[in-house]
Amino acid sequence: MSKLNKTGTVLGLAAVMGVTLSTFALAADIRIGITMRMISENGQKYGQMVMDEFDMINKAGGINGNMIKATLMNDECKSDKGVANAVKLVAQEKVHLLIGSSCSSVTLPIVDVTSKAGVPQLVPHSTNDKITKKGSAWVFRVPVSGRYYAGVNAKYVGENIGKKIAYLCAADAASQNDCEAMQAQMKAQHGVEPAYTAQVQEKEVDFRTHMQKIKNANVDGIMIAALAETMARALIQSYEAGIPASVRRIGSSSASNSPVPKIAGDAAKGVFFAAAYAAADTRPIARMFNEIVKSRYGINSPDHDFSQAYDLVRIAEIALGNADLKLDSASLAADRTAIRDAIAGVKGYQGLASGPISFCAEATPQCRDGNRTAVLIAYSKGGENYKTEVLARVTMPIDFGL
Amino acid sequence: MALLETIGLSKSFGGLRAISNLDVDVEAGSIHGLIGPNGSGKSTFFNLVTGVYQPDPGSKIFFDGLDITKSPSHKIGALGIARTFQLLRLFSEMTVLQNLMVGYHTHVSYGFLKTIFNNSAIAKIDAQTSDEMMELLEFIGLADFASMPASELSGGQRRLLALGRAMAMRPKLLMLDEPAAGLSPVNVDRLMAIVMALKERFGLTVLIVEHILKVVMETCDTVTVLDYGQKIGEGSPSEVKDDHAVIEAYLGQEMDDDEIRAALNA
Amino acid sequence: MNAVASLLEYPSSYIEKLGNIHRILPWIMAFVVLLPLPHILETTLNEYYVYLANRICIFIMLCVGLNIVKGFCGQVTVGHVGLYAIGAVTSALISLHLGWSFWISLPLGVFAAGLAGVIVGLPSVRLEGAYLALATLGLGESVRIMIAVTPFFGSSTGLISIPSPAIGGFVFDTYRSYYYLVMTAALIGIYLSFSILRSATGRAFMAVREDTIAAAVHGINVTKYKLLAFVISALYAGAAGGLFAHMPPGYIHHNNFTIIEMVTLLLMVVLGGIGHIWGGVIGAIIVTIIYDQTLEFYFYQPLLFGLSMVLIVLFMPRGIGGMIDRYLVTKRFMAIQEGKSNGAS
Repeated sequence: MSKLNKTGTVLGLAAVMGVTLSTFALAADIRIGITMRMISENGQKYGQMVMDEFDMINKAGGINGNMIKATLMNDECKSDKGVANAVKLVAQEKVHLLIGSSCSSVTLPIVDVTSKAGVPQLVPHSTNDKITKKGSAWVFRVPVSGRYYAGVNAKYVGENIGKKIAYLCAADAASQNDCEAMQAQMKAQHGVEPAYTAQVQEKEVDFRTHMQKIKNANVDGIMIAALAETMARALIQSYEAGIPASVRRIGSSSASNSPVPKIAGDAAKGVFFAAAYAAADTRPIARMFNEIVKSRYGINSPDHDFSQAYDLVRIAEIALGNADLKLDSASLAADRTAIRDAIAGVKGYQGLASGPISFCAEATPQCRDGNRTAVLIAYSKGGENYKTEVLARVTMPIDFGL
Repeated sequence: MALLETIGLSKSFGGLRAISNLDVDVEAGSIHGLIGPNGSGKSTFFNLVTGVYQPDPGSKIFFDGLDITKSPSHKIGALGIARTFQLLRLFSEMTVLQNLMVGYHTHVSYGFLKTIFNNSAIAKIDAQTSDEMMELLEFIGLADFASMPASELSGGQRRLLALGRAMAMRPKLLMLDEPAAGLSPVNVDRLMAIVMALKERFGLTVLIVEHILKVVMETCDTVTVLDYGQKIGEGSPSEVKDDHAVIEAYLGQEMDDDEIRAALNA
Repeated sequence: MNAVASLLEYPSSYIEKLGNIHRILPWIMAFVVLLPLPHILETTLNEYYVYLANRICIFIMLCVGLNIVKGFCGQVTVGHVGLYAIGAVTSALISLHLGWSFWISLPLGVFAAGLAGVIVGLPSVRLEGAYLALATLGLGESVRIMIAVTPFFGSSTGLISIPSPAIGGFVFDTYRSYYYLVMTAALIGIYLSFSILRSATGRAFMAVREDTIAAAVHGINVTKYKLLAFVISALYAGAAGGLFAHMPPGYIHHNNFTIIEMVTLLLMVVLGGIGHIWGGVIGAIIVTIIYDQTLEFYFYQPLLFGLSMVLIVLFMPRGIGGMIDRYLVTKRFMAIQEGKSNGAS
């Protein structure tokens, strides 16, 4: 008796679910969906920057008279949430262009969603090389792929620092990827094995045992591959363990994030890393950008996640301007295809990135890893008012790391 | 023949000997009383027999000719010893009927896999069991409350339910731990009438711990008296009543004989 | 609540009659009723709601399993997501590396989770309450960490391109087709939980929850039933994990199996009604919908969910299912009282 009463309850709830209608715009807007990791202070600012830039475009009259309607969602750097966001943006908001995500582990499954639905996807931050190796015709990567970064670091380290390198690798996607790639490149370019390798948790706090062992191993350099806060802690502990400054500290891609010099303080001095953008860049566009970020978000030396978000908006702006869009209810698929083709047509974009960004039509990593130029940046001063200097700029060959 | 027999039963908690070297025979078909002052080891004895506690080495407990000294509680229950608890320990969030169905657990004829693969067959078996349990509820007067949670019952009804749950085990030996505690005199009589009726109907052996001496004196065939975990007297109620050691231990020596008789009959 | 319950009176008595004709009939009817759901959702709303229906079905399986061990057997476990992860990773690896079909990899994943369920359940023999929660938390987290640090298990990149299930030429690679898999699995799961919980096994679970000593004295092997409850719930978690792994886009990552997911599951079960046979189902549906409807307030979501958990535990500890039970009990009690006064007059 009661069992069946309860059957009714469930059916009733299913009906309630059916009523939860959400609206979606069908006016002549260009709909853009964004899913990013909005959990840290910086994470939110990256998302905000994208939204603000689209706002500026709208205020300046839109793109060919069409307004941009951007929807920003948080995926918390979790793949299931990212997929849910992507499906929602694609199926419910019916976006023409999807931007996402910050984390490789979220971008990877979203590539399948956009590929199946036929929605162009611009990747703002993820560097995992598998993203473009999946062969989706719809994905375009604005940041430098991890496969290029690895080569840049290994080349510089082998030629300028030494070949005896210890590795501290955290378990998050980007750091693992950076670590593995660097080791492979040291072997490929210089024929050396790691002097010491330590695998640590994503948010590990105690590295002293590892640092002692590294100290005793008498290495030329230490590669610390971890997310920003973790890396900063590891840097401080490397000095506490008594490893001298002459042993160069090599950061993974997240060394560019401002918590590293801020938290690590003096321990950040001399740490260098490959990135897509150097705040110490002296080009006018870079100085203007630094000003914008400082006035809008109160950040002094923007890291490359800011610059990539900015470059991404500019590329989207160019592509949307070139695409022949109808923007009515029947033209969604055609508009999406037109935008994809327009992004593939972006060649030699010169923005904040250290070199030109070019895409092409084939669904290959060569075509979709548009940014091949990395810059080697070193911290010349740590702390709140940290300073950076550019060590070198390296453009990698298009097939590198494949 | 003794249905339950303990030989040299001992139990220590740390340095404290709760039961020491206790030999008790409970004759089949009898009503056996167990009395003694607070802390004399009556409840410990129950817990040892039903496997809630493990007795000290050297102890032996036989039930129906089987050595159950080291058997776990659930096996002892399956052999045919049912008990109630002083604090009842009812399954209070379950319905009255479900409490009895749990009591019947050891007689359920199907295993777990059958519940998955042939649940219409088990539905039939359960329906049959539930009919039998309803009959038992009818007998103890709780049939109206069958589908109520046990927590909704009054104090007296809870005592009855604890008795019914034990009876659902279809036991050979029913051990009652202060079944009448907290009941009004009228309800005590009613409860004991039900116990007697159950004993007659199912041919039970009953072992009863009770503070209300009148209950013990009126219903028991044999009474064992414990003090500090030791047996200090045993016999028919009238024998025990006159045993001086028992009187001293149990009631203190300050009373004269008339006062003692009055106390025992109260 | 009164209005809802009396509203349900009529249809449920009708279904009751059908149930007497054949026990499975109501379930087949539920299946038939749920068949056109993705079509309705996709035409009236959009594919995202089909995706949500898929997620709800997977959550239902997890919650129904969790409710068996926690709600019915009373064992506090925080290791459920670990078992979910084991089911997902096992099934994914078998189909990725051995190329075996989903129909083999899923049962193997379920089996692996079942074995792990024994291990997660073992501490319950000696521990209770918060200590048991800690022990199971440790086991669940160590599964996640194992996955996070072992490249073979996906490590940081996750397991990519896990193949979609297929029957002959038909591939379950859209949310609409996958719905039939997860919906069927969820219905079977609910049905089996009914079979188990309405039997002597279910009563034994509840007896163990209520009082282990009384249960043992009444002939129930407490250790056996505790482990059995853990294993059954592990099988549910394993099946849910396997279904999650192969669901488009066929990707799993260790951060899908964190303590946050575990807390969400607990919230679902507690809200739906702990120890209530429909509790997990109600909770999974409501929490998923509320979560979706509050997505834009992502900043306050953890706060909202944490607070509601506290409020539910304080003010309706038996959840929605418990409130319905309460109502029914009061009605029965009134009926008894009425019967008595009628008899007296």
